[in-house]
Amino acid sequence: MTSLLTQVVVRLLLAPTIVIAAAVLAKGYSSVGDGFSAGVIAALGVIAVYLVLGAEQADRLLPVRLAPVGAIAGLLITLVVTFSSVVRGEPLLTHAPPPGADVIHLGTLELITAVAFDVGVFLLVFGAVVGILRTVALARSEAGS
Amino acid sequence: MSLPARVSAALAALAFVLTLAGWWSGSPGIDLPWAPSLGLRLSFELDGLGVLYSLLATGIGFAVVLYSGAYVPLHLEHQQRPHRDEVRFFGLLLLFMVSMVGLATARDLILLFVFWDLTAIASYFLIGYDRQEAEARTAALMALVVTGVTAVLLLIGTLVLYAEYGTFSIPELVASVEPGGTVTLAATLMALAGLAKCAQVPFHFWLPRAMAAPSPVSAYLHAAAMVAAGVFLLGRIYPFLETSELLLDGLVVVGFASMFVGGIVALTRDRLKQLLAYSTVSQYGYVVVLYGLGDTVGVVGASFYVIAHALAKSALFLTAGAVAEATGERRLSELGGLRRAMPALALGSGLAAAGLAALPLTIGFFKDELFFQAGVERSPGIAVLTILGAALTFAYIGRFWIGVFLGPTRAPAHRVSALLTGPVVALGGLVLVGGLLPEPFVALANAAAEASLGAAASVDVFYHLDARAENLMALSAYAIGAAALAAPRVWRAAAETCARLGERLGPERVYVATIRSLNETSDRIHGIEVRDLRTRIAAILVPGGLLVLLGLLATPTAGAYTVGSLDRGDTALVLVLATAALAAIATTLPRQHLTLLLVAASVGFSLAVVYAFLGGPDVALVAVLVETTLTLLFIGVFALMPRASLRRLAALRTPPTRRWRDPLVGAAAALAAFLVVWGALSRPSVGESVAEEHVRLTPDAHAKDVVTAILTDFRGLDTLGEITVVAIAFFGIATLLRRGRLS
Repeated sequence: MTSLLTQVVVRLLLAPTIVIAAAVLAKGYSSVGDGFSAGVIAALGVIAVYLVLGAEQADRLLPVRLAPVGAIAGLLITLVVTFSSVVRGEPLLTHAPPPGADVIHLGTLELITAVAFDVGVFLLVFGAVVGILRTVALARSEAGS
Repeated sequence: MSLPARVSAALAALAFVLTLAGWWSGSPGIDLPWAPSLGLRLSFELDGLGVLYSLLATGIGFAVVLYSGAYVPLHLEHQQRPHRDEVRFFGLLLLFMVSMVGLATARDLILLFVFWDLTAIASYFLIGYDRQEAEARTAALMALVVTGVTAVLLLIGTLVLYAEYGTFSIPELVASVEPGGTVTLAATLMALAGLAKCAQVPFHFWLPRAMAAPSPVSAYLHAAAMVAAGVFLLGRIYPFLETSELLLDGLVVVGFASMFVGGIVALTRDRLKQLLAYSTVSQYGYVVVLYGLGDTVGVVGASFYVIAHALAKSALFLTAGAVAEATGERRLSELGGLRRAMPALALGSGLAAAGLAALPLTIGFFKDELFFQAGVERSPGIAVLTILGAALTFAYIGRFWIGVFLGPTRAPAHRVSALLTGPVVALGGLVLVGGLLPEPFVALANAAAEASLGAAASVDVFYHLDARAENLMALSAYAIGAAALAAPRVWRAAAETCARLGERLGPERVYVATIRSLNETSDRIHGIEVRDLRTRIAAILVPGGLLVLLGLLATPTAGAYTVGSLDRGDTALVLVLATAALAAIATTLPRQHLTLLLVAASVGFSLAVVYAFLGGPDVALVAVLVETTLTLLFIGVFALMPRASLRRLAALRTPPTRRWRDPLVGAAAALAAFLVVWGALSRPSVGESVAEEHVRLTPDAHAKDVVTAILTDFRGLDTLGEITVVAIAFFGIATLLRRGRLS
């Protein structure tokens, strides 16, 4: 069904896709993009492999079994960030550092709790999208067998 | 014991020790704001009442976990279920323990409500643990509905108080409430929630049904924790209750009614756990009466009674489970003479039964002494009723213990694990210790009463070897109870008639009828709504459309519709919009599912381009990504459907009746949507919009991109809700397609 060319291309494309997703995530605070978009981009890269190589090969090639773990970890990270401000004695989801305070920069990336929240969103969206499509694919192969 | 059992036992023991240490170090607490703009705080304090119920939840929880370590594997074996189901059992038990401790220590009414509902949810799963059995499922649902629906009354009462006093904090409310209609209303609503939880008449019917739960669950929930939460609430809101004499009198009436209904029915039950369940209804009746009688003696007595009852009753429930494991019998008429085969169990449960029957040298003697004292202080009539109640207790508990352990051996017993008898003996031992050395227990009850009364309470109990009223009342209660035990023929027929009358006319029928009619209504609406895809969509769009239309008609139209101007720079935008419109029209044409899907996706992609032209690159990016993902998902789902039926559906011709109706409806809807959007876009925005404020605040959030700042900061809670929905959708799909397997 798929030619050798697509099989090679899809594998080659995976790494750049992930890099772009990471860039979209990291640059979210200064330009277009955020955790949600980054999650979907990364997931689309994985799904392309799935479509071209089939569920079995893709499972062998990529650690997609861990997708649910990613989703749950993402949810936990966002919850931790959300409630960490309560422990500091501030209302729910008050990000640190406060407005006007100095922030550590790593290039364009600034280390603030909102970034951690966004990473949680990224993991959840990535895990859930890959997980959902994989569930559908597995249900199909189970129904077929 | 298995690993989950060990871990749970360790955690329960740790929690118990920590609670004790907390009590020792003097009421530690935490107080954190989590939504200060709504007046909500995470506020916990280990006050007297909190200590009492936390100790019960963790201490008896520990005994029950040990017992379950032996019981649950056997139980699962009988039902041929896999051993890993054990994890679920202990997980739920721990969840229940946590919610009970949270409930006991919460200092904020909203928190209290949250933990109240958490206990109900945990109990739903625990009662329905044998989920393959219809009886267990019905019982679980009944417990959830009765305690869950009345929990709403607790919330309403909370909001009534908040509306009047502007705070959810219990100490602040206690300091500021004044007798009056508002407080009485709120207290009544909350008390109803509490009465339903502790299975008082007329809500009592859920408790005997809940005996479908495994025995350790009954021992924990239906003796020491879940049901005790009901009277805990009465203790917690006692300052509100005592503002109204009428309300307290109402409690006395309900308490006595439950005492007698539960006691009489308990005399007629044959199944061990049913007998114990009705006895619980009756015993919590005592506690409700004590709160109703009030004053220091009543409130201390209520707290003391809860301790004594929890120790004794959980031991008896565990006895019922151990007996059923040893003999395979669950009925009084099939059991007897077990003292020979199971002497340790006979001793432990004998002590517990003696405690409930209030014999001297057990903790139960003092519980009844306080009960009699409170009755005598009120009036002679009440005093007589208290004697009759105590006599009933004596009779049915005697019937239970004598029936199981004395007389000729009816069912042979095989050896059971020491873990099944050990906790019973330990709890029975505590009943005895409480009778010989009541000081620590009384100190606990005094501390709890102090939290309820807001004033120091120091009630002491001693054995008095004289002819005071309480002693005479206890003696007459023993005498009446013993007489009833000796001559069952005198009352048997009358009690049976009462029990049957209750079944025929009782509140359970109301419950069943209500649930049935609700189900029927729901089925009917469901039938109309989801008959086919058209009615399902219509059920959402038609009411929504009508509302919008009403809004449109009510809005003044002068100047509402303006036509702007276009210049050359807009050409590209117009072209893209035209493409999107054409694509939308084109979706009506294809007959093949896949083609239809791709055409529909093209609408989404053209709209993404529109966003890009309008200067919303973030939105455009998300639109492209979401459209791609959805298209892939649709393709995947189509692949799940049988080819033949897809082909058949594609070949289906539209029936002639629909050929005109559907386009007409579509056109009307489109026209209405067009008018609404046009009207909305014609209005110039007034004042500073939220969007402008967001743009202004973005630098404060250390961001340069407004959309990201909105998603993660300004509207972060919305994002949290949305991604939670994504996660739930994932788990739901996994449940539907792969029975919950995630990977």
